[in-house]
Amino acid sequence: MIKIKNVCKSFGDKHVLRGVNFEVRDGETVVIIGSSGVGKSILLKTIVGLIKPDDGSVKIDDIDITKSSSFDLHETQKKMGYVFQEAALFDSLSIFENVAFGLRTLTSHTDKEIEQKVAQCLSMVGLEKVEHLKPSDLSGGMKKRVGLARAVAYQPSYILYDEPTTGLDPIMADVISDLIINLKKYLHVTSIVVTHDMKSAYKIADRIVMLYNGGIIFNGALEEAQNTKNEYVKQFVEGSRRGPILTDRTFGMDKI
Amino acid sequence: MTKYVKKNKTKLMRMWRFIERFGQRSVGIVVESLEGLGKAVVMTAEALAYILKGDIPLKSTVIQMVEVGWCSTPIIILTSFFTGMVLALQVGTATANLFNEPVYVGTVTGFSLVVELGPVLTAIVVAGRVGAAITAELGTMKVTEQLDALYTLGTSPVKFLAVSRFVACFFMLPTLTVIANIIGVYGGMVLTTTSWDVPSSVYWSQCLDFMTVRTFLHGFIKSFFFALIIVIVACHKGFNTKDGAEGVGKATTSSVMSSMVLILISDYFLTSLLVAIKIK
Repeated sequence: MIKIKNVCKSFGDKHVLRGVNFEVRDGETVVIIGSSGVGKSILLKTIVGLIKPDDGSVKIDDIDITKSSSFDLHETQKKMGYVFQEAALFDSLSIFENVAFGLRTLTSHTDKEIEQKVAQCLSMVGLEKVEHLKPSDLSGGMKKRVGLARAVAYQPSYILYDEPTTGLDPIMADVISDLIINLKKYLHVTSIVVTHDMKSAYKIADRIVMLYNGGIIFNGALEEAQNTKNEYVKQFVEGSRRGPILTDRTFGMDKI
Repeated sequence: MTKYVKKNKTKLMRMWRFIERFGQRSVGIVVESLEGLGKAVVMTAEALAYILKGDIPLKSTVIQMVEVGWCSTPIIILTSFFTGMVLALQVGTATANLFNEPVYVGTVTGFSLVVELGPVLTAIVVAGRVGAAITAELGTMKVTEQLDALYTLGTSPVKFLAVSRFVACFFMLPTLTVIANIIGVYGGMVLTTTSWDVPSSVYWSQCLDFMTVRTFLHGFIKSFFFALIIVIVACHKGFNTKDGAEGVGKATTSSVMSSMVLILISDYFLTSLLVAIKIK
């Protein structure tokens, strides 16, 4: 279980997170939505321990990673997989070595088992015969799928996805959504997904959390989000520029 | 009168604001420098702890040794050969002016190279070639979130990336220094025999008569410290790169400049220490 309590994070004068509270139960898929630059990726990185919050706590299976030693933090991170927005594949390693990385460092599988697992994970994301290639040989979408394969390969208990379907074609985005559902169904994986893709969000979410102005303004089940009267959520899910969420773009547009 | 007071008050306010801003900036720079130093110390301690535990990635260490040692050898041979020749030319010219013949060319060339120029020039060439490459590679990994990816895969970037580079630099820079010493002295001999018509046997006897094991150790010991400076600065700058491609460029420049300055400053203190403990 993941418990986020009163998490605050500022960068200089910019207060990105101002007391974020929510919980993710085991086996649940929570989708975090919100405008660009609202702090969704910062929140995700805080949960995985890559960013230390200024205040508050993040408890993974009752271990507060904001106060734990670097050894304990590493041990907790081993339970978690992270799909990066830009894939973050290791340039110097082949695709096979990238996907096998977690299997080698976090599990005791034999080389033959690792080979099978890598092939299986790559085929799960629709990639075949790419093992020998380098990340620079792949397109952006293919890199993203390899990043996903790398995060799921060692079967972590928690997987955090930072915009997993952005940059993919609609069919591949649907395949990735199905993959997230299957990981939950068959391996009981707990997921937190940051996305702008509402079609995918509706398909995979058990619960939707909306971040606005450094705090959570909506936290409810999928059906609640679909039928909410919350003007902020309505505007965001409908993708309308008219509403309470003000952006620089709407300011500019209104002046025309 | 009121106008005069007002004018002076505005001037004072401006001056106060300038002092305030200057103070804030200075404190900021000091805090930032101390923070950077702290991070470098922690990273070095972590890397040394892995090395002392024997937790060294063998394959990447061999790759780094080839990169630092073998790939730097041609440029080290070239620079040290010409340095030896220039040194012999300068010494020969100066002594020929003073005594009408070139004397002590082998002694001065050999001594200067083994004690000072060999270790310092090798370190500066390696800082420019290897230090820059390390910072650029680690910096690019930082800005493309590859270091974050390592953390999430349960691996410390220091263990995976810095340890092999620490070991490679620590062993290969002294090796390169020995090569630079030999080639430099040989370069001096080539010039002395061809330009000054001094027999090579005379050159070698001048060179070796004043050379002791302690003389050799003086330069050799310094090269280990220079290796640590290069690798610590390069890894630290790489791991703390920010602001995308521009940041990688700035970090790389800063890494090379910092290494060079630190090598030259530490050279004075190391020399003083080694002379004080009679390794000279």
